[in-house]
Amino acid sequence: MASFSSPLPIPAPISTLSPPPRRTHLAIFPRRSSFAFLARSADNGAGGVGSVVAVEERAETTKGEEASSLDAKAKEKGAERKEEAPGSNGSAVKSQVEAFTDPRWVGGTWDLKQFQKDGKTHWDSVIDAEVRRRKWLEDNPEASSNDEPILFDTSVIPWWSWVKRFHLPEAELLNGRAAMIGFFMAYFVDSLTGVGLVDQMGNFFCKTLLFIAVAGVLLVRKNEDVEKLKKLLEETTFYDKQWQATWQDDKIQSDSNK
Amino acid sequence: MRLLSPSNLASDFSRHLRPAAHIAMLRREVLDSFLRSRAQSQGAHLLPALLTSLSLPSSPLHPYLLHYIPSGAGAGAGPATSTLAVDVVVGADGANSRVARCIGAGDYSTAIAFQERVRLPPAGMAAYADLAEMYVGDDVSPDFYAWVFPKCDHVAVGTGTAAAKPAIRRLQAAARARAAPKLAGGVVVRVEAHPIPEHPRPRRVAGRAALVGDAAGYVARCSGEGIYFAAKSGRMCGDAIVRIWKEKGRVAEADLKREYLRRWDEEFAGTFRFLDALQRVFYGSNAAREALVELCGDEYVQRMTFDSYLHKKMAAGRPLDDLGLLWKSAGSLLRATILGREVERLRSL
Repeated sequence: MASFSSPLPIPAPISTLSPPPRRTHLAIFPRRSSFAFLARSADNGAGGVGSVVAVEERAETTKGEEASSLDAKAKEKGAERKEEAPGSNGSAVKSQVEAFTDPRWVGGTWDLKQFQKDGKTHWDSVIDAEVRRRKWLEDNPEASSNDEPILFDTSVIPWWSWVKRFHLPEAELLNGRAAMIGFFMAYFVDSLTGVGLVDQMGNFFCKTLLFIAVAGVLLVRKNEDVEKLKKLLEETTFYDKQWQATWQDDKIQSDSNK
Repeated sequence: MRLLSPSNLASDFSRHLRPAAHIAMLRREVLDSFLRSRAQSQGAHLLPALLTSLSLPSSPLHPYLLHYIPSGAGAGAGPATSTLAVDVVVGADGANSRVARCIGAGDYSTAIAFQERVRLPPAGMAAYADLAEMYVGDDVSPDFYAWVFPKCDHVAVGTGTAAAKPAIRRLQAAARARAAPKLAGGVVVRVEAHPIPEHPRPRRVAGRAALVGDAAGYVARCSGEGIYFAAKSGRMCGDAIVRIWKEKGRVAEADLKREYLRRWDEEFAGTFRFLDALQRVFYGSNAAREALVELCGDEYVQRMTFDSYLHKKMAAGRPLDDLGLLWKSAGSLLRATILGREVERLRSL
């Protein structure tokens, strides 16, 4: 299997930018798959990442079925594009899935002229249409085609429409929370210690509390976020720990020698 | 090389390829026998056998005892198991390493890579003459990618996963479906599966035995590349042993760790960690994958990717372009995340 190293720097604040990690735990104990990793002699080994093991018996018996089902699938997916008669006999069980169609989706991209409202492109509906297309494709994955490439790039949508629709409401929410917390904490501290707002700002402890409050409001937006952050921290350090594991013995030995 | 997102947005890596640069497609059956015969011609003694166990030495002066069954040992051809006494063992026996188990190297979590070799009709093969495809999406793999790689006279269609191993058949069917029109008329000639280590073993050097390649767990995340690292680690380990012999005349565990492991970690651990971070960020969800493919359309990204891939080390980019890339990454991820959240919201309505 060939490889490629992916692009360089990635944004730092993972918790706010990246989507919630699907895999919440990396497997510490390997789960042996139900496939038999039969050890075969080396001359059967063939392409794959490491040396590969051939599960050949299944291939022999299912070769015929695989061939016909490959054909059938190809014909099914191609039925919308080409005018072939679906002649497969094997997999008529699969219901015909429609490709994504929308009058505004033209030639692999959204036709922005059809999103006009009062002479200007209505970006909110472009975003809505794209969301609906992605949801459809997630539920009904389509075969890729060399003839009809997807050309739509989300960067055509201007930054201010994203800000107006998504950033501003959430910013309002978070600022509201911060303001409420700030006001009442300032009141409580003042009533307990007599230190006014201006003097509170000069105090190191109060500044620390302020920092914690701002960070908390930014990072913990829903109740589940606390758990997610903990798991994220654990996952981030997991891989590094594996690389360091081989040196732990040395550390233990040198510690006991001291 | 073409990278296709869940919505089939394609990013063509060959657009910014330098004239002589390429991504190698490999047939292991050809490479393995070539490497073996080359080693033999350089003076290595090849002993075709199956290693059954390894006896650890009782002191630094005693040898390791390899118990093996020579290939071609028939039922009545004398003792089935033979023994070989050696000073140093280099375990290069892959992901299910017997050597690693015998020296107590510990375990690692593995992903499964599943692949079918498909022989296509000439028209289909012509389309894949210089095209390799990678498909990302939840339908083909929740934490890896599916691929269609040409291999001279057939294509290898496969997928891999660590988190959803029992569902590998379904993922493979989805991978075939994604490339279905181009695989039309193909016949599956072979089915292969193998575990892929996800991270290094807890102990890669134990006593005078060292592990290299898949046995040690040197598989890069994100791309799943292990062939280069296996060959390189084998070479580094061999060089280290020769150096130690010349200096001291006898190999000890500390020497192996210093000469082989420390150098390997210094050279490659950073690359591995970076690729792990990339996999976690960009393979985590369909939204992140869309962002990845969008980013890969950028010329700077493609050039940096190729330079890093060809030289197996993080290519040094220009700082200003790096900042630009950081900005673009943030933008793409942000947009894709927002769209992903909207999709979830639609779904929960």
